[in-house]
Amino acid sequence: MSKETILSGTDLIKRYGSLEVVRNVSLSIGAGEFVCLVGKSGCGKTTLLSILSGLEKPTSGQVMLDGKNITEATEDELALFRRDNVGFIFQSFNLIPTLSAWENVALPLFPVKMAGDERRRRASELLEKMELGHRLEHLPAALSGGEKQRVAIARALINKPKVLFADEPTGNLDSATGDAIMEILKNLHTEEGVAILMVTHEVELSKAADRIIRMHDGEVIA
Amino acid sequence: MNWHYLINELYYQRRRTVISIIGLSIGIAILVILNSLSFAYREAARQPLKEIGADITVQRPGDVPEDLKGVVFPCSAVTIRDDEARKIGSLPGVRGIGKGLLLWVFDPERAWIVLGVEEKNSIGPAVLRSSVTEGRFFEGGRREALVESAYARQFGIKIGDSISIAGRQFSVVGYIDASRAAKIAIANVYISLTEAQGLALSSRNVQSVAPFAQGDVNLLFIKADQERIAEMELSIKDIMGKKTSVATPESFLRLLGSLFALSDKFTMAASLIAILIAVMIAFKTMAGNIAERAREIGVLKAVGWTNRNVVTQLFAESVIQCFIAGLLGLFFAVIVSYGLSFMTVSIPIPWEMSPNPHFLPGGGDQVFKVLRLPVYVPLKLAFFGVFLSIIIGGFTGALLGRHISKIKPSEVLRHE
Repeated sequence: MSKETILSGTDLIKRYGSLEVVRNVSLSIGAGEFVCLVGKSGCGKTTLLSILSGLEKPTSGQVMLDGKNITEATEDELALFRRDNVGFIFQSFNLIPTLSAWENVALPLFPVKMAGDERRRRASELLEKMELGHRLEHLPAALSGGEKQRVAIARALINKPKVLFADEPTGNLDSATGDAIMEILKNLHTEEGVAILMVTHEVELSKAADRIIRMHDGEVIA
Repeated sequence: MNWHYLINELYYQRRRTVISIIGLSIGIAILVILNSLSFAYREAARQPLKEIGADITVQRPGDVPEDLKGVVFPCSAVTIRDDEARKIGSLPGVRGIGKGLLLWVFDPERAWIVLGVEEKNSIGPAVLRSSVTEGRFFEGGRREALVESAYARQFGIKIGDSISIAGRQFSVVGYIDASRAAKIAIANVYISLTEAQGLALSSRNVQSVAPFAQGDVNLLFIKADQERIAEMELSIKDIMGKKTSVATPESFLRLLGSLFALSDKFTMAASLIAILIAVMIAFKTMAGNIAERAREIGVLKAVGWTNRNVVTQLFAESVIQCFIAGLLGLFFAVIVSYGLSFMTVSIPIPWEMSPNPHFLPGGGDQVFKVLRLPVYVPLKLAFFGVFLSIIIGGFTGALLGRHISKIKPSEVLRHE
């Protein structure tokens, strides 16, 4: 890791009742670094990603994101922090079915006081970059899987995040479309310098990363 | 709150939006219709008194005269003393008072129902001035009379004729058709109150039943504050005795016998049930809608919406849906009320208020005031209906919004 640390987790433990899903995990990610979190299904990857992104609080341990201890933040503080600092890409896209492509991209900006035209301009620019300039007004139902994921990526980038969290981003896509999405993520990493933490169980995909972190039964093993 | 998101949500989720709106709108419509009907019956019950410009009429029942000759009191209306009238006139809530003197006159050739009327008063039978169909209204200080037009036709009485009532000559100055305007305080002949008092004063049969002095009458017409009518009814009976007949809109309402007329509680209970069912339908639909959107809410929170942002959005969606439901319900209610306004209602006039001697042919027949039920949606009720639906929307939205905003995004987004 050559750059300053943007994200770090120290002694992270997450329990659901008696079940310990994340066991004493410590890790850090540098600014602009592309890290893959790999492991079998149910090994705790998604839970760890949720903790590191501030979607979930650890039972114990500490997460520092861009110099802020997010484990101490309230729910609303976390929401605002996520809006300003991180982006999410989910396996099943999680687009809002009643909003058009550009509106889905602008979704994080809806609560922000901003001119409607500015929101649309920023969303359109990102969709152009994703080669979806011709799909601005389409509802998610009218988009292919690859297009939906590209809309989701654009949404994740709308606030110029420092870290992008991707949870099995190609899991619902065919291999060709998955490759295209991976290409976009790699470009974001190399050209935009966005730090990426990607969860996957496909070892092949992890080859695109600068670093691979392996998990097994809630523990980081390498 | 984002309007575009709100409108899209309502538009693209048409099925559940429509179910929710229709459910609540039916409840609002039932509430408005029931209350409009209740108002209509109340308004109808006011009509018999309203048409003679009063809210209350007062009579004192008495004995049947021993000898039905000359001038007599109807047994339903004997002397109301001048001092009693003054006391009633000074009761709180009395806006004005009118007087009348109803007499039966049994002359050798003819029986008359004679009503003594104040010449100028907007309360009481003087309002029948507008019912003069031919000729003119009588003038005070002269022995002039108006004859009921059907009666005049029946007995060939013409304007300019002189008629003899208990031996006094009256000049006929006009015809009056009071039957179209009123069912109470109507007569065959209308003369000035002073002249009628003169007839009563000089009648042995009147004096033998109930002593009658200068200034006394046997009918009082009271214009009163609506909210004090019930209290005034009791006060009048305190002044004049428990047997006094006091007719009020409430007493006519009781005669109508409709559930709507009889009981505010019925209307309120039925309205409440309708609203509760409607709220439950709307709540269930919206709750289902919001539960279906748990993942969507999770996404909103994941991308940076605060709880307040989420609650505000859901609150606004709910309020707008319910506002539309309120307007639609009001529209339904106006249509149905218009249809109901073609219904007629027959209000029975109590025998003691009917001026006809019950022992004469047809005199004992029940008299009805038939009118179209004045059903309409009062503006205040319309506003209340829409306001209530907005309140329901706000309450539902806030409640469901608060509940759903507690969702942790990690919980709903992890199960893929």
